[in-house]
Amino acid sequence: MAIIEVKKLSKNFKVKVKEKGLKNSLKAIIKPKYKIVRAVKNISFEVEKGEMIAFIGPNGAGKSTTIKMLTGILYPNNGSIKVLGIDPQKERKKLAYEIGTVFGQKEQLWTHLTPYDNFKFFGAIYDIPESRVEKKIEELKMLFELDDFINTPVRNLSLGQRIRCEIVASLIHEPKILFLDEPTIGLDPVVKENIRTLIKRMNKEYKTTVFLTSHDVSDIEKLCKRVIIINNGQVVLDDTMENLKYHYLNKKIVDAKMKERVNLDDEDGITILKDKGYNLKIEVDIQKRSVADALKLLNPDNIIDINISNVPLEDIISDIYKKEGKE
Amino acid sequence: MRKYLFIYKSEIMSELQYVFNILIGFIGYVIILFIFLNLWKYIYNDPNELINGYNMNQMIWYVIITEILWSSLGGRKLCRKICDDVRGGNIAYNINKPYSYIGYSLFSHLGSATIRGILYIILGMILGFIFLGSFPNLNILSILAVLLSGILATVISTLLIIFIGLLAFIIEDSNPFYWLYSKAMLVLGTIFPIEYFPKVMQPILKYSPIYVVSYGPAKLFVEFSWTNFITIIFWQLIYILIAYGLCTILYKKGVKNLNVNGG
Repeated sequence: MAIIEVKKLSKNFKVKVKEKGLKNSLKAIIKPKYKIVRAVKNISFEVEKGEMIAFIGPNGAGKSTTIKMLTGILYPNNGSIKVLGIDPQKERKKLAYEIGTVFGQKEQLWTHLTPYDNFKFFGAIYDIPESRVEKKIEELKMLFELDDFINTPVRNLSLGQRIRCEIVASLIHEPKILFLDEPTIGLDPVVKENIRTLIKRMNKEYKTTVFLTSHDVSDIEKLCKRVIIINNGQVVLDDTMENLKYHYLNKKIVDAKMKERVNLDDEDGITILKDKGYNLKIEVDIQKRSVADALKLLNPDNIIDINISNVPLEDIISDIYKKEGKE
Repeated sequence: MRKYLFIYKSEIMSELQYVFNILIGFIGYVIILFIFLNLWKYIYNDPNELINGYNMNQMIWYVIITEILWSSLGGRKLCRKICDDVRGGNIAYNINKPYSYIGYSLFSHLGSATIRGILYIILGMILGFIFLGSFPNLNILSILAVLLSGILATVISTLLIIFIGLLAFIIEDSNPFYWLYSKAMLVLGTIFPIEYFPKVMQPILKYSPIYVVSYGPAKLFVEFSWTNFITIIFWQLIYILIAYGLCTILYKKGVKNLNVNGG
């Protein structure tokens, strides 16, 4: 059963345009000019109950605009949305009781209060009886490992701890769907991994549908089974994570700093992207060669520093366009 | 209602972190009172002489009360916050919560105004007693009536400032409107009672917000009467309905056209 139904959704923004120079600035006061930015263009998709879906795309692709329309914050120009059978724009308050939202770039917690007081606050605004709030706080405290800092004012928490508390605050009212808009933005890799594990645990424990946006592929690789890629306001791919991995995430980028110069040439499964003597950047096709194989070629004793990453999202998108003949 | 009381309580808990900042604001309050004390002592040859129906003590108590109401309001901060919320898109993150943004802003602001109000009432009463040596003739019931009128005045002021802040939906920066409002309040509502203004202006001022947010509670404190109390409370309730209605209309219209780009 589809829990989110989006049909032919579009959103335009009217943006003020200011031309260069003093003369044009004065002109803009009398006759302001606007341009129409088409942030979301005619997108359609459905999300099933209990799914953990990734909605990814580069900055400015239309991810956050879509999530804001799904949660009733923005009004679409065209198309229809049904979240749990509710029209988010017409029955925003009714929907608010059923969904939870975390916007990685915006704080919803009271910074001068402790996480515990914040959770009590969220319990009250969602009309949950006091005894149930206490029980829920206790349960989520264990699940998200908040014991050490639940009574520390939010302003004194690290970013990772704060994001954990933000997620817990949005789960107090037991929402059926959790919208996570770039929840790991600005976090270091270790904390990111920790947050991902906790989100996964939460999905398993409560069967909450998770709608996650990110511009970081690795963010969703381990979390989601289905992925929607959006670019320039349009859906460019709606597929399983397995297929995405097989077709587009089959390459790893190895960036290595060497002690001694290595003479390496392109060979089956390995492409040299950059060779600046001691700094080497290679692309490994993991369907043909393992990353370990590639490292052996470099000689591990010769490596000073190494970074292994996924292919950037922008490259995946251009690959999709190429394969589908969209460009 | 429970959720709004919780918002109010949370803001009090949060504001308690800033008690020392409030104490610094006391300096300005003491200076203003000292200036007016000397001004009225200079104007009144005899403290019992009546000018426009007020003796010297009543005039000084009038300024003490209106200054308590104004200082405990902290309107500039509220207007700036609402204006920034609208311009910066922060308002969007309150939209999908199960409360009204206006109710949230009102009760959270009342929370911080409560702490400031308590501290300024204590300071004002101590200063008034030190400067004048006595309190106006009030019993427990009339004190409670004045307090009620003061609370309603703060509710109206808060709603009016929320309205000014929400004007940012129409114009890019609503802070200049707050500047105009605060100056009008200072000149027409804080320093002099309505009776001090020219006869032609008095009916206008009596129907203006000045009557309900400043003049009313101060007049009750210096010269209490139940007839006045009923009239003032009646107009205060009418003003609350009007101000809340105006805020709701502006908010609903503004939210429909809200532009929040990106994350």
